[in-house]
Amino acid sequence: MAKPKSDVLQGTLALLVLKTLERGAMHGYGITLHIQRVSSEVLRVEEGSLYPALHRMEQDGWISAEWGASENNRRARYYQLTAKGWKQLAEEEKNWARLSAAVASVLQFAQ
Amino acid sequence: MSLLSRLAGLLKIHRLERDVEDELRAHLEMRTRDNLAAGMSPEEARYDAKRRFGNSTLVKEDTRAMDIVGWIETTGQNLRYAARMLRRTPGFTLVAILTLALGIGANVAIFTVVHAVLLDPLPFPHPEELVRVYDDLRTSNTHDVGMSVPELWDMRDKSGVFQDICVIFPTDGNITGGDHPERVEALGTNANYFTMLGVRAELGRTYVPADALPGFSEPVVISDAYWRRAFGADPKVLGTKIRLDGDLYTVAGVMPPGFRHPGRTLDADVDLWATTGFAAPPFPAPVVRAVRLLPGVMGRLKPGLTVSQAQAQLDNFVAQLTRQFPDEYPAAAGWSIRLVPTQEDVVGNVRTELFVLFAAVGFVLLIVCVNLANLLLARSASRQREMAIRLAVGAGRGRLIVQLLTESVLLVAISGAAALLTVFTLKNSLLRLAPADLPRLNDVSLSPGVLLFAFFISILTGLLFGLAPALQTARADQTTALREGSRGAGSSKHQLQFSRFLVASEIALSLVLLIGAGLLFRSFWQLLEVRPGFDPHHVTTAKIWLAVPNDPQNDPYFTIEKRAAFHQEILRRISALPGVEQAAIGSPPSAPMDGKPRQSPFLIEGRASNLEHIPVAETASVTPAYFSVLKTALIAGRFFTDDDNAKGQQVVLIDETLAHRYWPNSDSDALGQRLQMAAGRRSEMAASPLFTIVGVVGNIKSDGFDAASAPHIYRAVYQAPPYGAVVYLRTTADPGLLGEAVRGEVQHVDPTIPVFDVRTMDFIVSAFLAERRFALELLGIFAGVALLLASIGIYGVMTYTFSRRTNEIGIRIAMGAQRSDILRLAVGEGTMTVALGVVAGLAGAAVMTRFLRSLLFGVKATDPLTYAAIAGLLTAVTLLACLVPAHRATRVDPLIALRHD
Repeated sequence: MAKPKSDVLQGTLALLVLKTLERGAMHGYGITLHIQRVSSEVLRVEEGSLYPALHRMEQDGWISAEWGASENNRRARYYQLTAKGWKQLAEEEKNWARLSAAVASVLQFAQ
Repeated sequence: MSLLSRLAGLLKIHRLERDVEDELRAHLEMRTRDNLAAGMSPEEARYDAKRRFGNSTLVKEDTRAMDIVGWIETTGQNLRYAARMLRRTPGFTLVAILTLALGIGANVAIFTVVHAVLLDPLPFPHPEELVRVYDDLRTSNTHDVGMSVPELWDMRDKSGVFQDICVIFPTDGNITGGDHPERVEALGTNANYFTMLGVRAELGRTYVPADALPGFSEPVVISDAYWRRAFGADPKVLGTKIRLDGDLYTVAGVMPPGFRHPGRTLDADVDLWATTGFAAPPFPAPVVRAVRLLPGVMGRLKPGLTVSQAQAQLDNFVAQLTRQFPDEYPAAAGWSIRLVPTQEDVVGNVRTELFVLFAAVGFVLLIVCVNLANLLLARSASRQREMAIRLAVGAGRGRLIVQLLTESVLLVAISGAAALLTVFTLKNSLLRLAPADLPRLNDVSLSPGVLLFAFFISILTGLLFGLAPALQTARADQTTALREGSRGAGSSKHQLQFSRFLVASEIALSLVLLIGAGLLFRSFWQLLEVRPGFDPHHVTTAKIWLAVPNDPQNDPYFTIEKRAAFHQEILRRISALPGVEQAAIGSPPSAPMDGKPRQSPFLIEGRASNLEHIPVAETASVTPAYFSVLKTALIAGRFFTDDDNAKGQQVVLIDETLAHRYWPNSDSDALGQRLQMAAGRRSEMAASPLFTIVGVVGNIKSDGFDAASAPHIYRAVYQAPPYGAVVYLRTTADPGLLGEAVRGEVQHVDPTIPVFDVRTMDFIVSAFLAERRFALELLGIFAGVALLLASIGIYGVMTYTFSRRTNEIGIRIAMGAQRSDILRLAVGEGTMTVALGVVAGLAGAAVMTRFLRSLLFGVKATDPLTYAAIAGLLTAVTLLACLVPAHRATRVDPLIALRHD
């Protein structure tokens, strides 16, 4: 069962999740919906890669989790940024800006 | 931080699993709800939500994997699964564990011996500095001729090679003063013996510099064993006076229980150490360089000096001394000094045997591994489906391989533990099987080094037999296995080829072992065929020791006449004992295969002496009946008579070897001729009297069946009465009772003389052969086990092969094939494998048996007869193992076979 993953998307998944959580605590499904909606359906996060990533980020200390009640009163796990997570978000945003600027300059040059 | 929480995750793994499930389920439900709201039907909504998760099991696992330390959990799973799998096939598991335990146990057992005897350094500080110092006379090829006292002093003071050097003089000792005299194993040394070795006493003290006198000093040191035996472990033993050889000594110290003198003794472990400078009575004083009276010397090299460096330096020093003292060191004699590291010296020639046994037992383990690999392969065929499903569900190939290896490792772990337990509990019984004179036998134990070896070899074994089947089983191409209604027990052609290869290697290994055992067996047989030159049956021996007091004035047996009279009286009395047909007395070197021979250079009168090569003979003194007691033939002339005493002409008897060498035409030519011998320990012969040859006797193999025949010269006891003597009795009486009777007679004559070592000649001869026999027995057992395993291996593989081809055989029979055709087909299958194995085995044996050469006697390492016979035997056995399943294959009912899946 091969799962071809786009290198870029894998690297940026953390960034996207952190950014999403900037707005407040959210559960996994909510994060998926948000990214999907805000990117106008361009970015679709696969559930298979989301949850492992969420748990890894939790182990790394960027986000923390809590059980809470979802909209339909079911048990759901809510994630939110930690202090370390805020710093990591700033870091990743900076990196992304630098990366995309670099790619842009290369594309402009090739013109 | 994360590692800690991941470790903690392992502890609440069940809750973790449920949490992850809950989390993912919540996600699923939310999406389903949204889908429904978007207008999908309930089934569609649910299906779409599920589909987005893809392989939900995998997602669950991946997610949970983030929360724990993955590999620990995996290992735990693997172990539990492996245990379950093993329990499911108890027959296989039991067989596997038993054979593995056998293989590993045998290896560990042999290794404990190898470790203690060969690898473990001697328990002294800087044991690599300790060496034995031997004097040799190269031109006559005589070794260990002894050292003189001035020479010792030169070694100590002027050679520049030793930081310490000491004499080792093993001797019998006579302890009197109690109810009866007791013989002890004594060791005379210089006062620096204990400090040189670097050991201290457990009680009291060892020697101090003040104890270094020219003669014997009063303090003696006793061993722990002797302390317990003679003094009942009395803590107040220090200061007790004991009378040794007529002189009074004081017990100054007791050695710790583990201490052993690092060298050979006369008979048993040393009971008592006494110190002397060897420069005063009873030794000749003043000291003379020409008298080589010191039988053994041990030294400690200067720090940092290697043995070869020391040897080179010593060679120069020897050359210097030869120039300085041409009379005492005639250039013609080729005197040289040889250093042997004490560790090597203690071990002797047991090394080769131990290595051979170690290799053999390693082979057995290899064969066990191969057998198990085969078994696992066959078993794995039935697990193809399981593997295929697991691969399909998403397990990585690596994970499956690790899983299968875990099963092997678990098997090995159980077997290894069982093996260790067995070796530990059986250690003492096993040690009793070993020849009693195996050096350092008491050091054999389950030391940390041995445990490490056991662990290491278990892991290696597990990997060895587990890897190949694991790799084979977890192959990616599993489509055939998954097909419904397929031949579920199917295995690829590769697997079968590999199986056959394994069996062939098993056969090859077994063949090498069997040939090795066969060669040793033939050597032993040849050895037994050697005629010893005497008849050991119905001969009992006992030893006597006439004490040597320090002051010759106190020695009642100082003169030749007195000693001769003593021996004569003893002989008269014991000849009269009931049950004794004949009796004789001889000096200790006269006892065949029991003790160190005494070599003397000699010269035949009238023969121009070739100074380059002075002949040497083994000498002993014997009473007239000696040869009759041993039933050695008289070839020419006469035996000794009672008239050959101090008053008569000095006579000798020579053996056939000597006679043939110098009088090749006829033995009687020797009669009446005269020869000179170096009397006593003098190296010059000029002062030696002339002895007349009065008889020629048959050769006695005094050094053992496999030693070359050395020439012997015999003197008459009444002309050369020894201090230590061996009594020979031709009798059918019980040795124990007879020994008591002899003791009674001897102590009637002189109550202070001990009688000890009462043994039959048969026992002595068999003890001499014991070492060889032991190696042969062990190797034979290993080879037998190997053969059994190889047969089982090939039987198993053949059975399996034919069961696979049942379908095909059914068709053939239905088409009209006869039973003989099927048989031929079946046997043909096996023959290829067997042939391959045999050829490889023969080649391997030709290479490996080279290492056996030093153990062989009368048989070449590539003896064609042995090779052919063993190869034939193995082929027959293995073909038989093929035949049984083949026969069963022919009994197949075609109808059943065709339906067989």
